[in-house]
Amino acid sequence: MSTGLCRSTGSRTCHEILTLVRNVVKKNFHRDSVHLLKLSEEAKKIKGIKDVAVVMGTVTNKEILTRLGLLTDEGKAATENDMILAVMADSDDGIEEGLKQVEVMILKPPETKGRSYYSVDAALQAVPDANLAIVSIPGEYARDVVRILLDRGICVHLFSDHVPPEHELELKQYAKSKGLLVMGPGAGTSLIGGKAIAFANVIKRGKIGIVAAAGTGLQEVSVLLSEAGLGVSAGLGTGGGDVKAKIGGLMMLQSIDALERDPETSAIAVVSKPPDPNVSRVLLEHITRQTKKQYVTCFLGSESYIIPQAAVGRVRRTKTLHAAFSEAARCADPDHHTQIMSRFTLPQNELKSVANEASKGLKEKQRYVRGLYTGGTLAYETLIILGRLIGNVYSNAALDSKLKLSNSYQSMKDSIIDLGEEEFTAGRAHPMIDPTIRKMRLIEEAKDPEVAVILMDIMLGYGSHSDPAGAMLSTIAEAKSIAETNDRALPILAHVCGTEQDPQPLSEQEKKLREAGVQVFKTNALMAIASAMISKRDTLSSDALSDVYDHFLGGF
Amino acid sequence: MSENILKLFRSELKVINVGLELFKDALEDQSVSVAQVSWQKPPKLEKEYEDILSKIL
Repeated sequence: MSTGLCRSTGSRTCHEILTLVRNVVKKNFHRDSVHLLKLSEEAKKIKGIKDVAVVMGTVTNKEILTRLGLLTDEGKAATENDMILAVMADSDDGIEEGLKQVEVMILKPPETKGRSYYSVDAALQAVPDANLAIVSIPGEYARDVVRILLDRGICVHLFSDHVPPEHELELKQYAKSKGLLVMGPGAGTSLIGGKAIAFANVIKRGKIGIVAAAGTGLQEVSVLLSEAGLGVSAGLGTGGGDVKAKIGGLMMLQSIDALERDPETSAIAVVSKPPDPNVSRVLLEHITRQTKKQYVTCFLGSESYIIPQAAVGRVRRTKTLHAAFSEAARCADPDHHTQIMSRFTLPQNELKSVANEASKGLKEKQRYVRGLYTGGTLAYETLIILGRLIGNVYSNAALDSKLKLSNSYQSMKDSIIDLGEEEFTAGRAHPMIDPTIRKMRLIEEAKDPEVAVILMDIMLGYGSHSDPAGAMLSTIAEAKSIAETNDRALPILAHVCGTEQDPQPLSEQEKKLREAGVQVFKTNALMAIASAMISKRDTLSSDALSDVYDHFLGGF
Repeated sequence: MSENILKLFRSELKVINVGLELFKDALEDQSVSVAQVSWQKPPKLEKEYEDILSKIL
């Protein structure tokens, strides 16, 4: 056990105060990240403690503890299999008492509300008619568990990451042979029987089926269809690995076939980051030759595919989630399409007025966009739109490897950060649940005098933070205050991806943000366009803007 | 071949949740019946025991 004498840093306090920090490392002691987040929040209530974090010793967690002033040499030596208890207090007594109580808390086995089973077999005996399973265990162990479930004829939503590709292929081939689904690995969202599975929203039932290899892409399209009053019949997340060459779109095809035969589904949206070119060809051939319903394809920005003449009109191509929603809405209610879309899209001149208003008080050298995203597909959609509007945009998940940030913790010029990527989430709860990492980053971006505008997504629904907008408010106020102190404006934009029926109602979340001076947009795409208008102002190409309006907000 | 999936769309959901309880809680909030499996990592042998066992077996 060692004690470090640290200074409070960054956003934590305006003046420097000497504080004591101590780390205790529990070797080979594991709890899941969501449990540890809850435990850390609970431990913060211990009297005499200034701050506390209980985390697994991954590189990411150690980086964050360093930035919070909570890491000592003891903690630095921890491995990803060890747990770090980090406590900050004003006195030795405070540290001792705090650590004692935290140790008691971590030694308690995780509480389960209601009954739980210690094996899949036992659970299957108790619920012999189970028809769906969610699996969220470390990826290396997933194959054995999923195999048992498939043997019993159960479809699986596989949330786990890091499932070896050969295991994924084996499981999906087996699922296909049995006429079942393995949604995932890495599937964040599904909608089945009107219920939200994993990270998903409360969506109105409707006629549009969605197949997605992009979790927050499924969330954005389903949320917009629901808010438009149209709804979704089913949303099947396949995980991003499904459209890679090794897997060949096995579950995409299986899902398309199921929705094609589903009498409740009249049209199908297929949403994915650009698939492997061969998989893209296989999917399109299947859709154009083997199906009869209406389809909307959204391979996010990919323009390398052509719809065969025979399917033109029945199959519509789109480049963005906004456009996929628009075309799916057209399929569901062609007579009212214009009316519906007028609620979700602002004409160019009106969006310009909003941007001009938001730009007031910006200094000449404030020219850059910074996006702090928790939703990977939304970050991707923004990269596509900004790529067309302003050219080079840096990212930790860049479209072009030349634009990949060398350090994900440090933005450059125009940067869009996907905070859900591995370097920010290893051993941590996802930033949709734990806002810590985005709060830290927002303050860093606010300090940069060249930043013109900050944009962020606020993801609602089951699985997410219980009040994601509320959790950001104090940091938003601090960010604006930093800019104000330096005699600059700092427009902050947000898109809230959620519905009025979500556990965190949409209107309440939007209201909190508006009251904090945040400009709120109905879709992520509109927010992205506005961010380009604000940052580039009179240098923004009007041709590029017209192209985005003509080809990125509707079918092309 | 899609019969099982179509049956799933039409049936009342009965879910086995293996892992994060967050998902069980979310489904129960939606009135879905869920059986929770408290999955534990298989115990990892210390390297030296693993080496001895691999020689014996």
